Amino acid sequence: MEALRIIEDEHQSLAAILHAVRYMLKEIGQGKLQPDFRLLRAMVHYLDAYPEQRHHPKEDQYLFARLKARTNEGADAIARLEQEHAGGEARIKALEAALHQYASGDRDGFDAFGRAFENFADFYRNHMLLEEREVLPLCRKHFTEEDWEAVAAGFRDNNDPMGGTRETEDFRRIFSKLVAAAPPPIGLGGGPYEDD
Amino acid sequence: MNATAVNKVLEVRDLCVSYGKVEALHNANVSVGEGQIVTVIGPNGAGKTTMLSAIMGVLGSRGRVDFDGSVEGVPEVERMVARGMNLVPEKRELFGEMSVEDNLVLGAFQRYRMGRRDHGQTMEEVYDIFPRLKERRTQLAGTLSGGERQMLAVGRALMAKPKLLMLDEPSLGLAPLIVREIFRIIAELRRRGVSILLVEQNARAALQVADYAYVLETGEIAMEGPAHKLADDPRVIEAYLGLGGKHQDKLAH
Ligand SMILES: Nc1ncnc2c1ncn2[C@@H]1O[C@H](COP(=O)(O)OP(=O)(O)O)[C@@H](O)[C@H]1O
Ligand SMILES: [Mg+2]
Repeated sequence: MEALRIIEDEHQSLAAILHAVRYMLKEIGQGKLQPDFRLLRAMVHYLDAYPEQRHHPKEDQYLFARLKARTNEGADAIARLEQEHAGGEARIKALEAALHQYASGDRDGFDAFGRAFENFADFYRNHMLLEEREVLPLCRKHFTEEDWEAVAAGFRDNNDPMGGTRETEDFRRIFSKLVAAAPPPIGLGGGPYEDD
Repeated sequence: MNATAVNKVLEVRDLCVSYGKVEALHNANVSVGEGQIVTVIGPNGAGKTTMLSAIMGVLGSRGRVDFDGSVEGVPEVERMVARGMNLVPEKRELFGEMSVEDNLVLGAFQRYRMGRRDHGQTMEEVYDIFPRLKERRTQLAGTLSGGERQMLAVGRALMAKPKLLMLDEPSLGLAPLIVREIFRIIAELRRRGVSILLVEQNARAALQVADYAYVLETGEIAMEGPAHKLADDPRVIEAYLGLGGKHQDKLAH
């Protein structure tokens, strides 16, 4: 069941970034913090790239596929989750566009980005809750020893999704950079963020 | 019994602690093997800090503590420190009027007194683990943020090159982003061979990083096992790993 722990751990990373962006927006809104647009952009990028490259493929290709083969239970929830995964690109584009408007000094830019972010965060929280409350427990219930092994093997491959032919991002390193640059108390206050 | 502990750095047997007539820890049995991360999880008031204080000899106790191959009986604090036991307390007591670097140097004091003058090299290792402390080395510890203070408290403990590092709720009061980073560093310390006894309310994070785990409830060890087994146990999931991470209810005995 290592696989489920990995999924939940990845959810924690995403939730931590969502928490950080929400905190910074609150402080900016109250005039206590100057926006660090590079940092915001890097966090939005993380919210896009990490699930797309690392997280959702594990769920769709291995966990959900196996579960569907075992049972009809949870079929509606899985269908919804898969659909939501497929819509990832459109959702993140909306968030990126709003951030771009905000960074280029649009009059309504801050409020519009705040709304876009709240939509995104709400969506993601519900998405992760549905997985953790309904679908992961079904894996626990229905998976056989063989299923767990197959999923674990799939997860190992996923750490190098293109079989070594493509540079994938070093998310651990990026995460540490985000923590270092984020303002206290959510980060270490070493900003502004510098792109690689 | 922690059968995963091969060379035991710490073995605690039937440890009991009372505050006046109230027993806060009852017959606790805990061991930590060399290079292991062992965690004790449990809700607020379960007796986690009491247990660490008794192991360290800060609090009187009954029972037996074996540390690094010798029987201590009831431990005595100066001796435990001299023998390489190090506790990072919940309150992360630092010297706010001193620089970050001087706080680190103080961490090596015991070794220095025993004639080991290698703190320069140890400091480089600590800076390697915590680059942020190096950036801030000349600043006063009192100006650090919460996350930086926790890093300094752990860094200072590492300056003593402890045989056993005990961490009392390192995630307490910190934002999720920093908590993840602190736990990443704890995992990195294990990679470097440090033996760790980690006490936490944040069961999810603690079970993710640990090799072996104990669940402490109202002063007694209620469950134990390899950390990944406990993380999969329905009773632990229900009481400690529920969504939102709040452990409203205790395990049914
Ligand atoms: N100095 C003290 N005097 C009396 N009771 C104490 C003292 N310290 C802790 N306690 C009590 O002992 C129990 C365990 O406390 P503690 O070890 O601090 O728990 P934890 O660290 O798990 O939150 C609690 O009921 C607490 O109220
Ligand atoms: Mg405590």
